[in-house]
Amino acid sequence: MDLLVKNLPFILQGLGMTLALSLTTLLFVTVLSGLLGVLATLRFRSLRVLVRVWVELFRDIPLIVNIFLVFFVAPLAGLDLTPFWAVTVGLSLWGSANGAEIVRSGLNAVPRHQWQSAAALGLKTWEVYGFITGPQALRAILPPFVGLLTLLIQATSLGALVGVGEFFKVGQIIVERTTMMEGWNPAFLVYGAVLVTYFVICSGLSWFGRWLERRLGRPQARPVPAAAASPAPAPQLP
Amino acid sequence: MTPEPLISLRGLTKRFGGFQALHGIDLDVEAGSVVVLIGPSGSGKSTLIRCINGLVRPDSGSLRVAGRPVDLGDEGAWQRLRTEIGMVFQDYALFPHLTVLRNMTLTPMRRLGLSRAEAEAQARALLARVGLAHKAEDHPSALSGGQQQRVAIVRALAMRPKAILFDEPTSALDPETIADVLDVMRGLARDGTTMVVVTHEMGFAREVADRVVFMAEGAIVEEGPPAALFGEPRHARTKSFLSSLRPEALHA
Ligand SMILES: Nc1ncnc2c1ncn2[C@@H]1O[C@H](COP(=O)(O)OP(=O)(O)OP(=O)(O)O)[C@@H](O)[C@H]1O
Ligand SMILES: [Mg+2]
Repeated sequence: MDLLVKNLPFILQGLGMTLALSLTTLLFVTVLSGLLGVLATLRFRSLRVLVRVWVELFRDIPLIVNIFLVFFVAPLAGLDLTPFWAVTVGLSLWGSANGAEIVRSGLNAVPRHQWQSAAALGLKTWEVYGFITGPQALRAILPPFVGLLTLLIQATSLGALVGVGEFFKVGQIIVERTTMMEGWNPAFLVYGAVLVTYFVICSGLSWFGRWLERRLGRPQARPVPAAAASPAPAPQLP
Repeated sequence: MTPEPLISLRGLTKRFGGFQALHGIDLDVEAGSVVVLIGPSGSGKSTLIRCINGLVRPDSGSLRVAGRPVDLGDEGAWQRLRTEIGMVFQDYALFPHLTVLRNMTLTPMRRLGLSRAEAEAQARALLARVGLAHKAEDHPSALSGGQQQRVAIVRALAMRPKAILFDEPTSALDPETIADVLDVMRGLARDGTTMVVVTHEMGFAREVADRVVFMAEGAIVEEGPPAALFGEPRHARTKSFLSSLRPEALHA
């Protein structure tokens, strides 16, 4: 308890950093995934190929390699990124590759005749996405997408490896410091607290996702046809 | 001088990969007339009807609607054309996440500039016309196939189109509900709605069509008034198609 009080400002700072890292990453990933996922369903072949390359490239590189790549390679290309931005960019590349795939398969699972009848009424392409196929795809997209975001929040702890003073890093420092200066090892206590905190944040997000799903599910008690109900599998940490 | 047809196709072709689905189609649809397309499966009826509103893009040829040529390569031109030509599909394709009313007001509000009140009043009047006023607030999943198809028809009408294309509107329906949908279509024909209808309902074709067009292998084989086409087909291909149909289909 004493340990907590003594380090409180330090801990809050780490927590703040984790939240900032998470929020920026989630924002980038959501916007990029939506954009790339939609591009992948347009009828322009070149765009589809472009998204395919992006997805295959970043999805299959282990997340940690992705972050190191951005952190160590970007400077060589003349881009001087702070550790914070290196982590954000690394996570966003990986996250958007997975997210785009979720959005793409969600949109493609909407039956083709929905597209056709919307277009046949004279709706413009963006209106078809906004009013017709998008809302229908959301039900398939949401669960795996929230799973992805949860994974990304957990993965912000990789920031510790390139020196971002985020929550997990702060925990590490406290453990080291206490061991050296006070002669006892609080690892169990500190990592226990870290675990509980991540659990609270991530289960909060999952809970929000399920709440959204219920809200979307309510107005139509429509059994989704089997062919349409094949959401993308939730991504795994590589 | 005869007035210009509402829809006029000349030399329209469409190829899917290596397969030539349409070979130079010429077709005129007069305003206020009903043209029925018949032909064996795979003969290109759906492809042809979709070429009229650009859901399938023709490769070459020309299309004129209401006297204006349509630029076949311009998606914006197609999109504007689709607000003027309605379409009803075999699988009704109502939007399942919207109520029946919203299905019918969305496009009129966005394209025709109707206010919500105007669009809803129009939608309710149209629903009443097909006996479905009480379903306005329901989602499509609460309706039978025949009811959904009637909504699809009035959803197209809500755009006040110059013409409506029907692609086998009764093929996915139970026999009991087919009659309701055909009744609605008969009513439209009586009111002078211009229609192009792909159907296997030969009784309907005989009764309602001004002209029947027989297609085979991506080309129009022959066309004429129903009495002539059904009564004395000129081509062997037409004869063998008609004789392959069940006799009751011809006299229903
Ligand atoms: N998108 C497509 N890609 C490739 N081939 C197609 C496509 N659409 C249609 N075809 C082919 O074009 C031919 C004509 O198809 P179409 O759907 O127009 O026939 P149809 O006369 O409507 O037949 P049906 O009575 O079975 O509906 C068929 O051989 C079909 O396989
Ligand atoms: Mg067809």
